[in-house]
Amino acid sequence: MNSSANFYRPLTPANVKRIDETARQILKNVGVKITDDVYLDKLAKLGTIVDKDNGIVRFEDGWLDEMIGKAPHRYTAYSRDGKNDLHMGSGEVYFANGGRVFRILDMNTGGYRLTMLRDIANTAMLVDKLDNIRMYFIACQAHDLKPEFYHLNDFFEAFNHTTKHVMGGCTDIDGAKQVHALASMIAGGDDNLAQKPFYSIITNPISPLTIEGNTLSIIEYCTQRGVPITCAPATIAGATGPATLAGTLAQLHAEALAGVALAQALTPGAKVLYGAVANNMDLRTMELTMGSVEMGMMNAAAVQLAKLYDLPIYGTGGLTESKRPDIQAGFEKNFSNLMVAMTGADLIHLAAGMLDSGNSISYEQYVIDNENIGMIQRILSGIDVTDDTLALDVISSVGPGGNYVMEEHTVDHMMDQFFYPTLGVRSNFDIWEERDRPNMLKGASDMVLKTLRDCHECGEGVLDIELTAEIEAVFPQIDNI
Amino acid sequence: MSDYKALQEAVLKGDIKTALEQTQKAIDAKDVARDVLDNGLIPAMDEMGDRFAKGVAFVPQMLRAAKTMQECVKLLQPLFAEGDITSKGKVLIGTVKGDLHDIGKNLVAMMLEGAGFTIVDIGVDVSPDKFVEKVKETNPDIVGMSALLSTTMPAMPETIEALKTAGLRDNIKIMIGGAPVTEKYATQIEADSYASDAGSAVAKAKELLGIS
Ligand code: B1M
Repeated sequence: MNSSANFYRPLTPANVKRIDETARQILKNVGVKITDDVYLDKLAKLGTIVDKDNGIVRFEDGWLDEMIGKAPHRYTAYSRDGKNDLHMGSGEVYFANGGRVFRILDMNTGGYRLTMLRDIANTAMLVDKLDNIRMYFIACQAHDLKPEFYHLNDFFEAFNHTTKHVMGGCTDIDGAKQVHALASMIAGGDDNLAQKPFYSIITNPISPLTIEGNTLSIIEYCTQRGVPITCAPATIAGATGPATLAGTLAQLHAEALAGVALAQALTPGAKVLYGAVANNMDLRTMELTMGSVEMGMMNAAAVQLAKLYDLPIYGTGGLTESKRPDIQAGFEKNFSNLMVAMTGADLIHLAAGMLDSGNSISYEQYVIDNENIGMIQRILSGIDVTDDTLALDVISSVGPGGNYVMEEHTVDHMMDQFFYPTLGVRSNFDIWEERDRPNMLKGASDMVLKTLRDCHECGEGVLDIELTAEIEAVFPQIDNI
Repeated sequence: MSDYKALQEAVLKGDIKTALEQTQKAIDAKDVARDVLDNGLIPAMDEMGDRFAKGVAFVPQMLRAAKTMQECVKLLQPLFAEGDITSKGKVLIGTVKGDLHDIGKNLVAMMLEGAGFTIVDIGVDVSPDKFVEKVKETNPDIVGMSALLSTTMPAMPETIEALKTAGLRDNIKIMIGGAPVTEKYATQIEADSYASDAGSAVAKAKELLGIS
């Protein structure tokens, strides 16, 4: 458990309760719109109060508590090699990149272009090598593919370029089925996959308070096969949520709890993350601002709301309005990543690689964010105070006027006390000049090139060649690049 | 002619109740409907436009003021002489097939409505056939399409094609928008106009219909 997590508290305990009570009133009195008759009938049988004429489902307190009570407080999001198994609900804070943008800042040209399948392969390779990005999100839309086979190809490239847990969204149930079939082949069967699911699926309600039938069918399909999901509201204060932070939190909390409860009603015990992607409008112009400081505050508050029910959370941080890896990107990203981490989110997605209010990515930003997240992890691990770290013995033996450079105590602790940046420039002035004035962005660019070159040189992908051939035989739609 | 200070204040505040009371007062005092509009409501909206341009009024305020003015116009409606007011034009707007994002589309619709256009909002996930059907039914001047997913953008040219096939293309102007959509794309698919945000959508719509 990180010792400095659970440190930042944007809400007092009393205010957590007030927001929760408001959310429960919303679920009881306003309800959630479900746009599908089949699911309305099903949910009526499962104990919700259904107003079929208006397509509204309402949740009584007792029912809500019973359903949420079925949700696991802890579960593991597995990696394929066991090196990055992520224990949701354990108190650890994990960071991941973010997903499905349509534009990329291209380092070769310095301009923006549409994303392609190779960008999924490349970002998966980067994440595989970047230690602080613990899970891979399907990063972008592959615009060079036919729509029917997006998901099959996305996930194949992801699985083939990282062994870390993969998370992504599916447009429809067919996509969810294709991905499951593919993952099942890699796992060596449905049962193995259900035992140790190495991918999860993202779905979203539509704020305010609407859930599509299509979304419920994806949730049901995945959870029944042991695949973890989240149903994460992207509530926008001032547009799809009230203009007050507290009001948006109350509505978002209602939507997130509805997602958890419905998943449990459809599949008791379903592995599910409470989801929160709170953000807001700039009301001067009605531009969406995912990099606002309130975004960080609200997503941190959402962690407190999820933890009221002891639910693991799919949290959000690391977004910026900036179109380049620059000063604005640096501070906007780190405010929210740090705030949400210090509240103790289990998973912080969108934490690495993003630019342009969630619409774009840049490879350089992946490696820069990886380093910043390293610093946040250092903050979270706190200052450990023990007899040994208090160092009275060594202070006594060195005494007044000495130094600690060559002490054994120094050697013993030099690796466990400090974060050492790889990209941050730290050399003294003369050396900085001698080295041709390095800067972080240039370092990031070099590191991206080197990482991708090394990966390309070391072969095709991480999946076994025979397995790849089998997969290609079964799924001729896969466009292995 | 009465003094319309209180009415203007109410419009600027977006206080529909007071604005309607003030409008009714003017009607009761036998003011000419056209005067209430020209000397009361329109100067208030001009003032709001100025404040917005200077950055001291925000979008929600502007939309509320526009809504307030519309309600007052409704009250005056039966009293207008022929030619007193004309709609700026009718805009049919929807999010294209496969796409459920509607925040941007709704904003564009609100701003257009605020600027005096008549809006027919046909919702989200609208198929090309549905666009055709609704155009036939409502006879708009402009058809607006919104797409937020790069993957649903191809539904835009499909819709244009369907409008052509139905013989409707020549009677309407087509405007498109949404985060992944670009000016270049608009040219490529032979839409008549592209707008990058709700404010410019109003300017572009006026341009398309040759009004100011
Ligand atoms: C007619 O003339 C005109 C003229 C101007 C026009 C116009 C028409 N239409 C718009 N304009 C212009 O004027 C407006 C006002 O200034 C502007 O409108 P905009 O719509 O651009 O701006 C709005 C005011 C604010 N912007 C928005 O409302 C979009 C915000 C983001 C965060 C977003 C949201 C909120 C949502 N989403 Co979605 N979503 C994202 C968006 C990421 C982002 N940062 O933008 C985006 C667009 N989504 C994406 C995705 C992938 C998805 N989303 C999905 C769902 C959702 C929510 C339901 C959660 C929610 C929508 C709620 C709603 N009621 O609309 C899913 C698809 C659902 C579907 N079939 O449509 C899903 C597939 C998610 C999934 N499950 O995997 C990505 C698209 C990638 C791509 N390939 O293009 C995305 C960039 C986020 C991301 N990085 O993943 C202008 O563009």
